[in-house]
Formats: sequence, C-alpha cells, structure tokens
Amino acid sequence: MPRQIVVDPDQALAPTRLTMPAIAVHAYDRPFAEERAARGDAPLMEALRHMLVIRAFEEMLSSFKATGRHGEIAYTYKGPAHLSIGQEGAAVGAALALAPNDFIFGSHRSHGEFLAKGLAAIANGDEADLDAIMAGHDGGRLRDTVARALGGEGRALAENFLLFGFLAEIFMRSNGFNGGMGGSMHAFFPPFGAYPNNAIVGASAGIATGAALRRRLAGEDGICVAHAGDGATGCGPVFEAMNFASMAQFDTLWQPPYDGGLPVLFFFTNNFYAMGGQTAGETMGWDRLSRIGAGVNASAMHAETVDGTNPLAVADAVARKRALLREGKGPALLDVECYRSCGHSTTDANAYRSREEIALWEPHDPIARFSGMLVDAGVTSEAGIEAMRGEVAERIAAVVRAVVDPKIAPPVDVAANPVLIGQMMFSHGQIDVPSGPSTLAGPVEDSAALRKLGRKARNGRGEDGASVSPMRAITLRDGLTEAIVHHMAHDGRLVAWGEECREWGGAFGVYRGLADVLPHHRLFNAPISEAAIVATAIGHAMAGGRSLVELMYADFIGRAGDEIFNQLAKWQAMSAGMLQLPVVLRTSVGSKYGAQHSQDLTALIAHIPGLKVVYPATPFDAKGLMASALSSNDPVVVFESQRLYDKVETLAGDGVPADYYRVPIGLPDIKRHGRDVTVLTIGPSLYPALDAAEELAALGIEAEIVDARTLVPFDHAPVLASVARTGHLLVVSEACERGSFAQTLAATVTRHGFADLKAAPVVLGAPNWIVPGADMETTYFPQAHDIVEAVTGAFHPERKVNRRGVRSWDALDLARRGI
Amino acid sequence: MTPVLVPQLGNEITEAEVAEWLKAEGDTVDQGEPIVSISTTKMTFELDAPASGTLQKIIVPEGEIAEVGDTLAEIG
Repeated sequence: MPRQIVVDPDQALAPTRLTMPAIAVHAYDRPFAEERAARGDAPLMEALRHMLVIRAFEEMLSSFKATGRHGEIAYTYKGPAHLSIGQEGAAVGAALALAPNDFIFGSHRSHGEFLAKGLAAIANGDEADLDAIMAGHDGGRLRDTVARALGGEGRALAENFLLFGFLAEIFMRSNGFNGGMGGSMHAFFPPFGAYPNNAIVGASAGIATGAALRRRLAGEDGICVAHAGDGATGCGPVFEAMNFASMAQFDTLWQPPYDGGLPVLFFFTNNFYAMGGQTAGETMGWDRLSRIGAGVNASAMHAETVDGTNPLAVADAVARKRALLREGKGPALLDVECYRSCGHSTTDANAYRSREEIALWEPHDPIARFSGMLVDAGVTSEAGIEAMRGEVAERIAAVVRAVVDPKIAPPVDVAANPVLIGQMMFSHGQIDVPSGPSTLAGPVEDSAALRKLGRKARNGRGEDGASVSPMRAITLRDGLTEAIVHHMAHDGRLVAWGEECREWGGAFGVYRGLADVLPHHRLFNAPISEAAIVATAIGHAMAGGRSLVELMYADFIGRAGDEIFNQLAKWQAMSAGMLQLPVVLRTSVGSKYGAQHSQDLTALIAHIPGLKVVYPATPFDAKGLMASALSSNDPVVVFESQRLYDKVETLAGDGVPADYYRVPIGLPDIKRHGRDVTVLTIGPSLYPALDAAEELAALGIEAEIVDARTLVPFDHAPVLASVARTGHLLVVSEACERGSFAQTLAATVTRHGFADLKAAPVVLGAPNWIVPGADMETTYFPQAHDIVEAVTGAFHPERKVNRRGVRSWDALDLARRGI
Repeated sequence: MTPVLVPQLGNEITEAEVAEWLKAEGDTVDQGEPIVSISTTKMTFELDAPASGTLQKIIVPEGEIAEVGDTLAEIG
C-alpha cells in the first residue's frame, strides 16, 4: 500500500512563519474559597493528611539513615533514600486529580509519588474493590499480617496495608509489595495504579508511553502519568518517548476508536537541581522546562508551568490535562516547580546551593503553605493540624515497629533457597496456541506476498537433492513470517512496531505483505528511536499487551541499552514475578556493512540476566523458535542473521511444516552426526561448519555438528553427551572471541565434561577488532577452512592440512596488546 | 539497443523473479516509465525503462528467475 500522505513540494517549500502556542506559567489564580466550595473541607483536609504522611514517612527514612534510629526504634537500613521532602505538593496535587484506574510510573525520587497515588486510590476507591485488591495480593497473606499487626478496617486497613507493604519493600522484606526485590527506588503496586518507579532517570517516560498505547488499544479509560525530574529533560530517551506519544500517524492514519495522541502526561517535578547540577541556568538550554513542549508538536504538548508548592494548582492542571488526554489530544507536559528542601541523598552536603537559597524557599514549603490556607480560611485550626500530625506520626511509628520485626516482616531467606532470586528471572510460562477467530483486517489471501508463501516448496532440497532457489522454497525469512502471521492473526493483544515495519515490510522483508492485512494499530512504523521502541514495548506488555518490536541492526542495541539491560531484563524479577513482560525483540545481525552494521552482539545480551536469547540458523528452527518466542510470557531477544534470511531448508528431512509448530527455547540440536569431534555452532556458523564437516570427512574425521539455536536458556546435556562420544569440542561463533558466549559454553563444557575431553576445547570466533568491509569479511568471520584448520590443528595434528586462512596469530600476544 | 538489467537489490539478494511485464513487446516506452515488476525474496520492485524507445524483446518471461546483472529485455 503506497504512502497516503503526499509530500507536496509547493506546500513544503512555501515561505511561512511557525507560531507556537503561548505556554502558561503559573496561571493558576483560583481563590481558595472557590476551591473550598468545589471540593469540600474533608477532601482538603485529606490532601493535607496525605502530605503529612509522605513527609513523616520520609523523615523516618532520613532518621534511620542519619542516626540508625527513629524515635525509640533502632534499625540499620543499608539501602538508598532519595527523599522528596518539600515536593509533597506536586505528588499529592497530581494524585488528587487522578482516578484509581489511572496509572503512574514513578521517578527515582518516588516515595511521595507512590504514597500519594496509593493514598488517593484508597481514599477515592470503592471499599469492595479495596478488599478485593488486598485479598488478591499474595493470597491475602499481606492483608492478614497487617490486620494482625496494625489492625484497622476498610480504608484504614488499606492504608496500613499500603504503608506496611511499601516500607517492608524498602527494607527488602519478603512480604514487601515486590517480595523485597524492588527496594526503595523500585517499589510499586499496580492494583493501586502505581506502576514501577525507576532508578534510571527518565526511564518511566517510554514505559508509560507504551502503557498508554496498550490502554488506548484495550479501550481502557485511564491515563498514564510518566513522573520524572527536571534533570530527565537532558535524557534522549525522554525526548524519544515524548515524540513517540505525539506521532502524527495517530491522527492521520489510525482509525477510530484507536486514533488520537496517546493518553500520557509527562509530569516533570522540577526542583531546579539534577542531583547537584542546576538545570535552568547551568546544565539545560531551557529557561522554563515547559518550553520544550513547543519543540515536540504543534500543540506544544499543552505544556504549562505550574506551582508545585500548592497541591491545588497542581490538581487543577492535572485535571485539565487529563481531560485533554481522554479526548485523544495527548500527550501533555507539566513543569511542576517546587523545591527539594532535603538533600538529594543522605550523602548530600548541599555544596551546590546556598543556605540563603534554602531559606528563601522555606515559606514555600507545601505543607506549611497549605496548612496556612486551611487555617486562614477556618477549615481547621493550628491545634487541628497538630492533632493530625500526631496521628500520622503514631501511625508511621506503628508501621515501623511492625516492619522491623522479623517475625512480622521476615527478611528474604536466600540461605534457605540459594536460587530464590534466580527463580524470579523467568516465569517460563507460555500462552496456548492462538486459535481464535482472525483479527486481521482481511483474509491472508488479500496479500500477494503472503499468498506467494503458500505456493512455495516446503523443502529446500529438490527431488534431485539439489538446493532449491529461495524464490521457490520457504526461506528462513519466510519461516519467521509464517509464525508471526499466525500469532498476529489469532492474538489481538499482539502489536508489532519498528522502523520501516509497515509498507517496506521491515528492512529485510520479514513483514512483507503484513501491511495488506493489518491495520495501523496492529503494525506501525516507529520513529528512529530505538530507546522508545523498546521502552514502549515494555510498557505495552506491562499493561497487558504482547509486544513484537524490531531493532533493524543489532549494532543499534546500544541506542536502547538501558531499555534492554535495565528495564526489559529486570522488571519480572524486580516485581518478584508480579509483572510479566511478553516482549519479543527482533534484531538482525548485518553482513558486508562493516564495523557499525555487522557485529554479532549476542554475548552482550546473553550476559544480562533476565533475557531469553535465540539465534536460529535454519528455516525450520526460525519458524518454530519465533512461534515459541511469541508464545513466551518472558522477554525473548531473537537474533536473525541477514546472511541467512534467504536460506532454504536443507537439513530437516520434511522441510518446513506449513502448519503451526514450536521449537522449544533452550535445546541445542544435532544437525550432523559424527564420532570424532563435536563442533558446536552459534547462528550462521552452522553452515561453514557443515561445509567443513564434508572436508573433514574426506580426511577421515567425522564431525558432529551441534547447532546451539538458543543461548539463554541452554541445556548442556546434548552437548555433553556428544563430547562424551567424541572427546573433542570446537565452539564456533561470529562474535568477537573475547567475552563471547562461545567462551562461556567452552568453559562450562570443560568444567562438566572434563573427564571426557581428550584435549582442551577450542573457541573459534571473530578476532577482537572491528568487522572489516565486505571484501575482507572472509578474513574475519570463521570460514569452513578455518574450522578444518582448527580441528586438524588442535585435535588431529596427524591430519594437519595446508593453511588457507589468515589466522596465524599468537592469541596470548594479541591479548597482551589488547586485541 | 539498451538492455533492461536486474539491478543489485540488496546485500544478500542474488536473484529476482519476473512478477509481471507491464509493457508488451512492441510497446513504446518512455525513459523512467515502469515496465516490469520484479520480486525478490525480500521485496517487490517496479523497474523503470532505462531509455525511451520500443520494447524490442522480452528475454525473461513472467514467472522466471533471473540473476542480478542479467538482461530482462531490450529497448531499441
């Protein structure tokens, strides 16, 4: 389908002037009497109480960090405490305007954000819903513990549940909200609409955007709030997320009811300092943070600067932005100015700001200010506020007493189960084979490209035994496509995006034809924003969707480094399994494109705990492993070699089945049997290894070729069994040898198969330098002759052959020189 | 006589199938006008006439495969 929007040169090149919407700065001027009449006294007092709870909670943490005590309670808290004392007006103001079913995604200074959202959800939620939430968490065990230790009923019990679950999490106790796996900067509790807080500055921006996408597609009413600090405006991924949420296609190409900018509010709590760097005036170009909205889209993201020291000003702004988002006019941006009166952390000596400045802001303390408003208007009295403060202090003290008691809040007992944390990395769950009615816009036959797959031969070997043209037989690319088409057709939760994924069919044609049968909200082109592509996939999955996203080249993994390494890999375990992330991240390994477009970076991904990693080399395995990846409830990174996209199936006797099937993730596969040497290959190295096996056979050496197929998880049993038969192991991969997964496999087999080995295993990878240009690639990636030389040289010197490759270097000398 | 060649269509692509001739032998063609739709394993592509003239001879018929660099037709 050709592009529907014409780029008209007459229009594009015509002189004009861009105008920007005016951005309001501190426009809130509603008299307190009006707020009081509109909201009523009780909710205003409740807002004050919430600020007092947050303040008391954080002062308690501060006290533990500074003195090891809180009142009479002694406790050594070893974790971090990034406090938000002085910023309570921003957090409580936002929560005032949010419904229980709105989601927030926290910043790394998130205690206040979390508590404000939780307290608001409890204050405004239906009591039966609260009971169900408490009964549903951990089989009701936390509720029962809290009821015994702290008492309370209804909302009071729910507040104790919130405070206990949160503090127990911060103190890394087993019955904290996240099983002690999250801690201070990562605690969260989705049933109250509080999604993960994030220790990486700005990281919630993309995740919240992805969750907003899912909410739009699922027809849910709520909005998503991405909390961040002013310092996060220096982070590229934050801009990527704001642009992603603003993409014009939501209005120009997406059809109702899925159209309109995403319902995400970028809420910047602007305390003027990014840790110790002053944002406005020193480290940023903007004078007012809200100005950046004008750089993102024509509505300037409806940006405003509001007074974060007044919760009513914040609530007013959030309510107005929320209404815009629900009309499909998102995203929105708020610059919420306030002052952090405490240090960034407990080691902050305030070297970057003066005592005079801190004193200037004292009258703007949100609690002092709001208390003053309430007293001046006669809503309450000084004595009334003191009484409230006393009640809050007592409640916090009671929660602390309970949480520091190991009988009530037991520490995580790693000694009792040394792999306890490991077990949280993966659920190993998978969905049933999707088989419902088709969710495609039309029958597969509507697409010429997809129709063509049905006419191709399933077997890559013709009747004469010769290899069939990839134009005539199913290729590895086609295998991937077939698995993806099946899942896309029968699982409406699955959405695919990436660069050039739609009309182009993906840069390498895996999605070719899909645009003919899938509407934009199921398959869309993403901006060149690798960080946002992965972050939105995470948010989309976190909120109940299933995500299939693509990084065009594995070399671009660095562009999405945090999103892959810290977000995608970690949230399942950091939630103690509460969250599942069914994300398939496809990425291609290039060829002939040199140093920045042809690297095998599998080791980088395999090194990070929490990611399943597959690298199929045959059409049969590609189709079956892609089906398994799309079925997995754990995140899976699928490496695809560009050199193999056109491979037809020449190894599986019956070719590639037309029907749906899965290949289990984690099981290596013997592609050729032999008794003299085991050659374990990763990815495309399979093919030179098979060629080498032919040559070796002519020399009287029978090689057993084992295709790893998967890197994580990995069942060593077939490899160890093979080595037990052959006594020799050569591991071949296209990754640089240093730190490669091939080295890991060799080391593990050496340790566990030592008795069977007749010689030390050999690793044959790429040398530790850049991938050279196309004409030099054969000197870099292991070739069949390199494999023959490695086998004969290391294991069968009596059959040594004449050297044909260039690998005549001294590995120890190279290591000494850093190469 | 100007040959209509199968261009280099991608890094790992070595051949293409003639999906559809948009012009018949004897037709007049203008330079830049699409004359044939070819399909690789990765994409479908319309080739433009490299010169103006008459499509003298179709060498590779619909449904057949040609290699990169092969002559599909001649314009004269």
